[in-house]
Amino acid sequence: MSIVDLTSMGEPQSQLRKEINDRLYKLKDEISDYCFQCAKCTSGCEAHKLLELEPHKMVALLKRGLIDEMVNSDIIWTCMSCFKCRERCPQKVAPVEILFALKNLAVASGKQIPGKYTAFLQSILSIGGIQDIQEITTRDNKTKRRSELGLPNISKPKDLTKFQAGLMKIAVEKV
Amino acid sequence: MKKKYALFTGCMMSTEQYAYEISVRESLPILDVELVDIEGFSCCGEPMKSVNQLMTLYLSSRNIAIAEKNKLDIFAPCAMCHLALSECKHLLENNEELKDRINGMFAAEDLNYKGSIEILHTVDLLHDHIGLETIKKHVKKPLTGLKFATHYGCHLIRPSEIGRPENSENPTKMDEILKALGAETVNYYPEKLDCCGGILQINLPESALTKTGQKLKAIQEYGFSGLVDVCPWCHRMYDARQVKAGETVATKLEVPVFYLTQLLGLALGVKKEKLGLDLNLSPVDKLNLGEA
Repeated sequence: MSIVDLTSMGEPQSQLRKEINDRLYKLKDEISDYCFQCAKCTSGCEAHKLLELEPHKMVALLKRGLIDEMVNSDIIWTCMSCFKCRERCPQKVAPVEILFALKNLAVASGKQIPGKYTAFLQSILSIGGIQDIQEITTRDNKTKRRSELGLPNISKPKDLTKFQAGLMKIAVEKV
Repeated sequence: MKKKYALFTGCMMSTEQYAYEISVRESLPILDVELVDIEGFSCCGEPMKSVNQLMTLYLSSRNIAIAEKNKLDIFAPCAMCHLALSECKHLLENNEELKDRINGMFAAEDLNYKGSIEILHTVDLLHDHIGLETIKKHVKKPLTGLKFATHYGCHLIRPSEIGRPENSENPTKMDEILKALGAETVNYYPEKLDCCGGILQINLPESALTKTGQKLKAIQEYGFSGLVDVCPWCHRMYDARQVKAGETVATKLEVPVFYLTQLLGLALGVKKEKLGLDLNLSPVDKLNLGEA
């Protein structure tokens, strides 16, 4: 079975996009009002000092409905998903979850997926995991394979065609 | 009584972070843990969260369903896998509708998700299930004279709302385990909860390395004997990428980095070469770890 890139499926994408959009509007209408901009999330944000991510501002933008603007911005891809904002928010707003939804929407809208995410996705579809077995180098520069280290075979989906069939449904299933 | 678990190796540990898998398989059976390899697992789903959260949920529930079919609880040594599987249980626990929808997608593979099993990580398996007293009884070569910094990893300790093996702001279980093995630790240092940057390695590797470098630089300055971690993503950053991480903070970094299970194995009397210590790329030889 050839790899059908979930991100380039035409028809089902619009449904997926609608579902993520609904999820974001739900977050906007039901959650973002709780935020009183205390910026506790930003003060602890791992990506803040280094990459200028400001989670409290993302919540403020969501509250104003500026979803497209955020989806089109690279800043949503700077989150390290450390979950400190979700852990520490006194109002249980969880900016990290808003960022996940925004990134999901960016992908479903056909925006370019940054970095190795596409490779991971394709690898999961073809072998079940994000990467295949790597040859590694020891501290004294010897090359070693997994099989040489006395480790058993990796657990993998038994029937890849069936596994792929299940994954494919996600593109059309409601989120 | 012997404890039996399905070993969920995940992608990172089983395809490149072999030292963790080797030391897990070598040291835990000494503490009466039986690790069972079962067929059919895939990626836990966590790395796909930014791309498609439903896919994350699908993959994690599928893995849980496979372990359920084999009537085994899951031991997931990777903090990221552990989070994905735990979060899946949390999300589906009180959501029959979502559970039915997910189960509907399993038709092709003849699986059924119930959410009936436990998901364990190295830290709670050792600390809560095996227990410090049992560990102490098995120590043959205490790690005397070594003082370690511990790195728990973000995914292991947050978000506590879904149930994590450790306290989110003041984790100490790994420190307690190391003390039971005869080593010293400090329960707190300012950078203890800092992220390794591992997730950013996917799309912003330079920034990821800077995060890694900043923490390692601090640990080096404090004069710890080494850093101990329990996540293959974190370890890949601190150990395998240490030299490059040093370049981003203009420092020559020489911090020995270990998996907790490697040190556990050493203390339990396992021979050095059986714990994958030749695979650590950080200068672990700096420490006197006994005869080979």
